[in-house]
Amino acid sequence: MRAALAQASLIRHRARTILAVLGVAVAAAMLLDMVMLATGMRESFRELLLSRGFEIRLAPKGTLPFDTDATIRGVSAIIATLRKNPDVREISPVLGASIHVLTGNRDVSGSALGINPSVQGDYELLSGRDVTTSDALVANDHLLRQLGARVGDTLNVATGYDPQTRTYSGQRKLVVTGRVRFIYGATDQSSAAMRRETLEGMNPQSRDRASLFMVRVSSGANAEQVRDWIDKQLPDVTAISIATAIAQVDERLSYFRQLALILGAVSLFVGFLLVTTLVTVSVNERVGEIAVMRAIGVSRSHVVEQIVLEGVAISLAGAVLGLALGLVTARYLNTILSAFPGLPMAIDFFLFQPRAAWSALGLLIVSGIGAGIYPAWRAASLPIAESLRREAIA
Amino acid sequence: MLLAFLLASLLAQDSSSVGRSPNAAIGRQPRTIAIDDAFAERAHLKVGDRVSISVAPGMAGDTVVVGAIVKRGADPSEVARGDLRVRMHLDQLQAVAGYGDRVDRFAISTTPAADIPRLIDRINGVAFGFQAYRSHDIAVETSRTFQVVSRFHRAIGIITIVASSVFLLCIMVLKVEERRRDIAALRLMGISRATVMRAIVIEAALVAVLGSALGVAIGWAISLVVNWHYQALYQTPLAFSIVTAPTIAFAVSLSLLLGITAGVMASLRLVRTPPLALFGR
Repeated sequence: MRAALAQASLIRHRARTILAVLGVAVAAAMLLDMVMLATGMRESFRELLLSRGFEIRLAPKGTLPFDTDATIRGVSAIIATLRKNPDVREISPVLGASIHVLTGNRDVSGSALGINPSVQGDYELLSGRDVTTSDALVANDHLLRQLGARVGDTLNVATGYDPQTRTYSGQRKLVVTGRVRFIYGATDQSSAAMRRETLEGMNPQSRDRASLFMVRVSSGANAEQVRDWIDKQLPDVTAISIATAIAQVDERLSYFRQLALILGAVSLFVGFLLVTTLVTVSVNERVGEIAVMRAIGVSRSHVVEQIVLEGVAISLAGAVLGLALGLVTARYLNTILSAFPGLPMAIDFFLFQPRAAWSALGLLIVSGIGAGIYPAWRAASLPIAESLRREAIA
Repeated sequence: MLLAFLLASLLAQDSSSVGRSPNAAIGRQPRTIAIDDAFAERAHLKVGDRVSISVAPGMAGDTVVVGAIVKRGADPSEVARGDLRVRMHLDQLQAVAGYGDRVDRFAISTTPAADIPRLIDRINGVAFGFQAYRSHDIAVETSRTFQVVSRFHRAIGIITIVASSVFLLCIMVLKVEERRRDIAALRLMGISRATVMRAIVIEAALVAVLGSALGVAIGWAISLVVNWHYQALYQTPLAFSIVTAPTIAFAVSLSLLLGITAGVMASLRLVRTPPLALFGR
């Protein structure tokens, strides 16, 4: 009965209701996008870091992994120290360098990782085979496209470029054995990987050095405790756990979270205001009708429920439409932010999580109920006789 | 990389450690460095403090005196990075870093009449081991991050405009519809449809302008809060939000346009409805 009356009231002013639903839909879309932005970035980054199961990363003191060209010396000594901790299961030292692939009169530059293929966590093999021999190289599609090369081709790879003398510290012929996707690589990044000893051999200055260590802890071990232990044992490195990495990223990208919070709050307020205005105007127009209902014995709570239902119905219809609209706009906004230079392609700023959708929907329904409370209170507290008299005179 | 090492190894020293300094060993007065205010705050340094500076943690460094604390420039590329800056004399840095007679780059100031592309061609023609670029080209390349943020802001702005347009349209339609009885009375008194429409549209336009003025005032206040908050957060004098005359003109024009549209839409419906029907008879 209440629902039928609320529906009749909304249908009576169809154009007005449609406009209000549209307004709530746009506000809901914005709200969903902002909830996705506030939580998605962190979740996406966490998933990315955990995707290969390495819980701790060691970078040169005071830096983030690959944030600078700095390297850590004494790879063997560091591995020996780390092995002393029984909670350390696997260690993957990674050396980063710039490479130049010389093809005819062209010089295609890119970045290279020197890894140990049995414990690496930087890429996944798409086709071909991994770098099992010292003359093997795997490359991503971007680099292969730039070179016009395929799996099986031999490349002339150089590293350690000195701009003063225009010479390289090392040059070697390497065979492309596989196509890979770098997990932490940016979309427009030309990257390759080879065995660490191969890259070290091409640049003697990087011998026994690494840009990064990735550490996998035993199942059940506390990664934070292992990180604290590493910090004490190796004062020349910065040990970063997933939690500290997320905290650092949070700090750098706090602007987006704050923007999401502000715009989300504004969207919710706009939706609330719109529904309140619409329901209040609707109640003002139906003063006589409500007075008659009250005069024939309809209870106050019945009137309140009917009016609150109107607000909730508009909010719900707008929310459902808005969620669909929000997903479309989130994809568009994500495409814009994905163009950040150097951002790993696996990072999504707007990550859809059912929890985000439920949060947005819940907030809108609560705001719809809140929006109906004031007009419902006004309607319920109408003086029946006076309202009827005024209506009759009008 | 060099800067990172320097920053990582800049350690506050007490007077007892001065004896290790190469400067002190040869009886020279320590030279001065300038640090930025964020560094001074984080490391609790003040002008006159002595610090040891080296290229790697634990290495023997050169003792220097903090000669100045400088305020950061409004450089967008430094926002959110949290880097700490030290300014040194060129020869001092070359000596500390073991760089020899080398620099990372030269900045060249040209005369107003200079043909810059030709100058760059000439430099590149005779250069060995380096490349000349126009500052503008470097700025374009390094500002990609800000271009992305700017595109994102524009997209958010469009969505906000669409949302506020629907909201404004809805409110104006409601406001005019609320006046149905007044309009019916006017029509019954013999006031023409055109006059009623004009009155409604003028009223809608006035409400839109007043609302815009209030909106501009609120926007300006929010802009002050945003700048205050982010300038403190990122320790930069950079302006994050600027209220410009074109922005105000755009907001007021859009609001006026939507107000008039809503007024026309609602009044057309009302003046076409018979007055008695508007009264509910």
